[in-house]
Amino acid sequence: MPTITVDGRQVRVEEGRTILQALDDAGLLMDGVDVPHYCWHPGLAVDGSCRLCQVEVEGLGGLQIACNTPVADGMVVHTTSDRVRDARAGVMELLLVNHPLDCPICDQAGECKLQDYAFEYGAAGARTREPRRALQKRVPLGPTIVLDQERCILCRRCVRFCREVTGTGELGIANRGDRSVIETFPGVELDNPYSMNVADICPVGALTTRDFRFKVRVWFLEERPGICTGCARGCNVWLGVAHGEVQRYTARRNDRVNGSWICDAGRLSYREIAAPDRLRTPLVRGEDGVLRSAELDVALDAATRRLRELIDAKGPGMLAALASAHLTNEDLAALRRLLDRLGVDAAGLTLVMGEGDDLLVHPEKGANAAGARAAGFGDPAPILERLRGGGLEGLIVLGHDLLHPTLLGSPDALDDLATLIVLDTHRSELERVADVVIPGRHLAEKGGTLVNAEGVVQEVAAAVEPPFPATAQAEVLDRLAEALAPRLAQAGGDG
Amino acid sequence: MYPRLPHVTGYLTEHVAEDDFVTLEGYRARGGWLAAERALREMSPEDVVDQVTASGLQGRGGAGFPTGQKWSFMPSDPDGPSYLVCNADESEPGSFKDRLLLERAPHKVLEGILIGAFATRAEKTFVYVRGEYSRAADVFESAVEECRTAGILGRNALGSGFGHDVVVTRGAGAYICGEETGLLESLEGRKGMPRKKPPYPAQVGAFGRPTTVNNVETLAHVPHIVANGPEWFRGLGTEESPGTTLFGVSGHVSRPGLYELPLGTRLDEIVFEHAGGVPGGRKVKAVIPGGLSMPALPAGQLDVPMANESLRERGTFLGTGGIIVMDDTTCMVRVACVTTWFFRDESCGQCTQCREGTGWLHKLCERIERGAGEDADLDVLRDVSASMEGQTICAFADAAAWPVQGFLRHFREDFEAHVRLAKCPFPASFEL
Repeated sequence: MPTITVDGRQVRVEEGRTILQALDDAGLLMDGVDVPHYCWHPGLAVDGSCRLCQVEVEGLGGLQIACNTPVADGMVVHTTSDRVRDARAGVMELLLVNHPLDCPICDQAGECKLQDYAFEYGAAGARTREPRRALQKRVPLGPTIVLDQERCILCRRCVRFCREVTGTGELGIANRGDRSVIETFPGVELDNPYSMNVADICPVGALTTRDFRFKVRVWFLEERPGICTGCARGCNVWLGVAHGEVQRYTARRNDRVNGSWICDAGRLSYREIAAPDRLRTPLVRGEDGVLRSAELDVALDAATRRLRELIDAKGPGMLAALASAHLTNEDLAALRRLLDRLGVDAAGLTLVMGEGDDLLVHPEKGANAAGARAAGFGDPAPILERLRGGGLEGLIVLGHDLLHPTLLGSPDALDDLATLIVLDTHRSELERVADVVIPGRHLAEKGGTLVNAEGVVQEVAAAVEPPFPATAQAEVLDRLAEALAPRLAQAGGDG
Repeated sequence: MYPRLPHVTGYLTEHVAEDDFVTLEGYRARGGWLAAERALREMSPEDVVDQVTASGLQGRGGAGFPTGQKWSFMPSDPDGPSYLVCNADESEPGSFKDRLLLERAPHKVLEGILIGAFATRAEKTFVYVRGEYSRAADVFESAVEECRTAGILGRNALGSGFGHDVVVTRGAGAYICGEETGLLESLEGRKGMPRKKPPYPAQVGAFGRPTTVNNVETLAHVPHIVANGPEWFRGLGTEESPGTTLFGVSGHVSRPGLYELPLGTRLDEIVFEHAGGVPGGRKVKAVIPGGLSMPALPAGQLDVPMANESLRERGTFLGTGGIIVMDDTTCMVRVACVTTWFFRDESCGQCTQCREGTGWLHKLCERIERGAGEDADLDVLRDVSASMEGQTICAFADAAAWPVQGFLRHFREDFEAHVRLAKCPFPASFEL
């Protein structure tokens, strides 16, 4: 492996990388070695146009752009010399010549690379007295993204994203020189399943998502790491939290899992966390057949009683459990403990299959399908068969994926069950037939470990508290197991 | 009678006044295509590269890069096709030499192309003609067709076993498409935006293949070098800059037009003796020696040989040899206005410094010309042009910055007078 020296620091680099890539590989870029850049992005091809990443390389005359200069063994790079500093200041001054400086009303303010680098590398004063270019401030590029042409610094990350990553190529640069503007091609909208990534990679406030635009000032956001639960890819996201609520997901780079991107559906799935159809309270069906809200203890008592009665009367063989692929390994382990205590063998995974693509979207719609399979939750078909044929008396259901048309479809087949215990995050048709419904927590509210489709185990911590009393599924299951334990232990002793 | 014939001719422009010189028959009758026959039948590609290298021929497209060396960058055992591109996108303001060669000596250019293609093992040449040069493209296409019919081009060019074809494509009128990688982008059907290097065209050029890009005039010299040898070529011009070139003289002179003269001919000789000096009893104020992108020289500095090694000492370059003469009624701030306007208009807009710098320079010059400038603006002009220099993907930003630096260096008093008087002190100068 070649070694280069950057500001006196030895960095081992891979052959064929550029200086900027090598620094990124080593985890030093903007985190130990500051080489500011706009057009370069780890997930896109080198563009070399913003010219901010210029560095001095001994033996090469003039300044070199770090993004496109291949490393060579023994190369000596300086990133803090006067020449580099002057060049950066020059670029920053020029980038601001036409910038509208409308930071007070700009959504990007606070997480804007133009602000950050102007502060860090630019001059304190402005020398231009010339009129700035007046352009369109609110260009709808498609259903998800709005463009402010005045703020754009023409780094072309968005253009390249649509050409290189999605292959859809909706964006281009119209006109030339200082009249250049980002545009969609005539008759074309920026409308693809990954379109909102362009807002993530836009270093300035030119591209904003309609979803997050003007929702909250970003300095009120606390960015916490999370994982998207939409599919088995397990894309890494940042949860932007303000006022105790997740306000947005943005892509969190993880080159082993999702690179720098997330799909639009996953990005918007943060809405599920504070959705109006969240289960907010435990529900217990009374003698009169009506489902009423109840305290958690009451619901747990009811569930314990029903499960005990069922096992006493029919034995554990008439009880089964179906687990959602959204559950964490911790939830699944707790479910397994409960089932073991009850002596229940029949356990399956309700995994919804859908569309996938070549980029990120996985056909398995559950972030922990692999984890569930590894924990012994397999094909639900035998259980579904027995449900349809009336061969089961009781069922514990986590999540409501079994209502998906490819699985059970309607809850009608559950009508004949003597006991149906539901543990879920969102309301569903299961309420029509359930005896006890207990609200659980979304991944963002409990954290845990998940295994993605490639077998990568990922752990996240809780990012928010649920806005209503909800208990992590693992804890609910453990409490159930505990409540059922003495009697079962005794029953076991009798046998 | 062709309206733009050179006032002084040399080996390049000999016969261009004769109408049948544009035909294959006429060209052959005057000794044409013999050099190519010799190169393709009797020499190896290496021999040709060696001859051209030994001749010291420098590219005539503006940068002056040694042609033989450029050819030597091409792979000798390519794993697929290689290409030659003839850059006929002559768009430097003040330059009009390639047009004459394309329109009046197409077979000479084609002969240079075939020899160059043989030397660089190119299977095809793309001739990228400036969109406005429709007549040149028409004439050149006819010559290509003649050569195909005669077997000079084709699978067995000149019966040598070397296969070659020439494709003429037309640009759409962008200055930046004369930059070699901007040209390649345009050739491939994309917007003319120069490519970052590395990779260089000799590695990844047209359509992803190794490519050499040579200027029209550069290639026109090649048959003469092959025919007469490097020593003959070195006998003309200066030691570092051999051969003749086509100087185009325009502006305030009595006899504007083309002059084929050895490199190293003094600028004042060209302006005063050949072009007849400034008409109407007025004096020279400034001369741009090599097309609009080169820094201008003041009247007192015209005693300079027109070769890069000498011009460099005066802070300017030969460029494309387009000499623009301005008399003493000329307002240099207005000249700066039109110059910066041109480069602002033509900047492709990729690189920050060029996109923003060209616009800023123009706005500054315009404000100073309006009489609304202040002393500090001169420093800003200097600093902005310095920020643009040597920091971009291609040399366009340099081309935009250098003239401004030249105007400030030699004609600062014009700028200061505008600021002091709060108006333009040159009422007789050309209108903006």
